[in-house]
Amino acid sequence: MRCLVDLLESSIAKKISVALAGILLVGFLAVHLAGNLFLLEGPQAFNGYAEHLANNPLLPAAEILLAALFLWHIAAALVTRAQNRKARPEGYQSQRAKGGRTWGSRSMTATALLLLAFLIVHLKSFRFASDRSDLYALVMKDFQNKYYVGFYVLAMGALALHLSHGIQSAFQTFGVNHPRYTPWIKRTSVVVAVLLAAGFAFLPVWALVAGGAR
Amino acid sequence: MSAGQAGSAGTMHFTLKIWRQKSAKDAGRFVSYEVSGVSPDMSFLEMLDLLNEGLIAKGDEAVAFDHDCREGICGMCSLVINGQAHGPDKNTTACQLYMRRFQSGDTITVEPFRARAFPALRDLAVDRSAFDRIMAAGGFISTNTGSAPEANSVPVPKPKADAAMDAATCIGCGACVAACPNAAAMLFVAAKVSHMALLPQGQPERERRVLAMRKAMDAEGFGNCSNEYECEAACPKGISVSNIARLNREYARAALFFADHAESGKS
Ligand code: HEM
Ligand code: SF4
Ligand code: FES
Repeated sequence: MRCLVDLLESSIAKKISVALAGILLVGFLAVHLAGNLFLLEGPQAFNGYAEHLANNPLLPAAEILLAALFLWHIAAALVTRAQNRKARPEGYQSQRAKGGRTWGSRSMTATALLLLAFLIVHLKSFRFASDRSDLYALVMKDFQNKYYVGFYVLAMGALALHLSHGIQSAFQTFGVNHPRYTPWIKRTSVVVAVLLAAGFAFLPVWALVAGGAR
Repeated sequence: MSAGQAGSAGTMHFTLKIWRQKSAKDAGRFVSYEVSGVSPDMSFLEMLDLLNEGLIAKGDEAVAFDHDCREGICGMCSLVINGQAHGPDKNTTACQLYMRRFQSGDTITVEPFRARAFPALRDLAVDRSAFDRIMAAGGFISTNTGSAPEANSVPVPKPKADAAMDAATCIGCGACVAACPNAAAMLFVAAKVSHMALLPQGQPERERRVLAMRKAMDAEGFGNCSNEYECEAACPKGISVSNIARLNREYARAALFFADHAESGKS
């Protein structure tokens, strides 16, 4: 506990921990997306995959680790943002960027809060649903609701923005900055962010428009 | 006369919206002033001098602002001009910004650097002694003074010497803090830590320095870096954010492996 408090006390250590959790969450998202793609294969494939996961004895431990990563990332990042607001009590009449900020970096707090809202809704509708016997049907039912799908797509837009800054920012936080590699890291960051978000957003749109694979 | 052309006898006219604040306790507010007869070749500070001469002649209080060398090397000038620290030019201090950069007839907003760690003093002048305290915590090398050692007795590879020299050009102006959306001081601290971490003379205190300077930086109430890179864009000396990456590396290395926590005050 003491070392967690120390971590929060040091701006740089805190930032490294937020970035580390963030990058591990990107890894989780990639695996999660791969799993979601079983939806395209129909109910047997998707429910089979879900059952396979549920029977894995390591799942509870993995879920606890994942929850810890999310909680730490969110809590430490939001503490940071609150401290940053206090660091400039009297704002500027006008503050004009000189060329450092990007859409992604500017909107980190907004995209973070939207993602948090999405996370809560998402966990409630799938992970903590009352009846999880037919997950395929559960998912497909929600994906027939155009408001649900709209919110999902909006949240994935936020994810793309969040990660377009987040991934390359994490490299800088880890101390990786080199004239030969940094331009590539920045580009790859945007590409990975857009691919992940588009991958997730595709499934509900496909379910709504095509009615799913039946 | 169209905007952009000089007025009568080649001079320019401006409307200035300047932050006036009597003291740290005063609330402060913007006051508009008209200034005429500005030569396009005046620096921004000379234009403020002209305004102040007019104010003093009328028996008003002159606008307080910091300045010293007026040639871009001391780091004293500290204005946010139209929302940008040191004004619109890249790699330029406010004292080296010339009025020909503006159009006659423009309205120009002038504000102080704003950060909790840079408390207001008066008008456009703020207290940047937080930087001095960060330097006092570790921004030095302990060495015996006396006659200069033979220059070639300590070899320094050219790329390292260049990188150290680039970091050493930081003039401690604080524009990085002023421009940072989080009022973070990372670029300044990164420049100082890098400068010494890259040179052999900085090695004996390398870990102790970065731990102590990080601690002093946080204690002053600066914000946390979120890699927006506005600091680099505003820095009059073009200090690169690659120095911040080096600071992160130096800090992680020292925090994980440096044993002498007693001396560094347990960071
Ligand atoms: C959905 C999965 C998420 C992933 C993969 C993710 C990933 C990342 C990454 C890689 C960073 C960059 C760290 C750095 O700047 O060094 C970051 C920053 C951040 N994240 Fe997330 N994030 C996610 C969700 C969230 C949520 C739900 C919140 C809060 C409600 C959040 C809040 C933030 C904030 C505020 C930052 C900026 C930290 C700073 O630099 O001040 N993130 N995220
Ligand atoms: S890093 Fe640049 S902007 Fe910051 S104090 Fe040094 S010279 Fe000024
Ligand atoms: S007055 Fe010295 S740098 Fe501007």
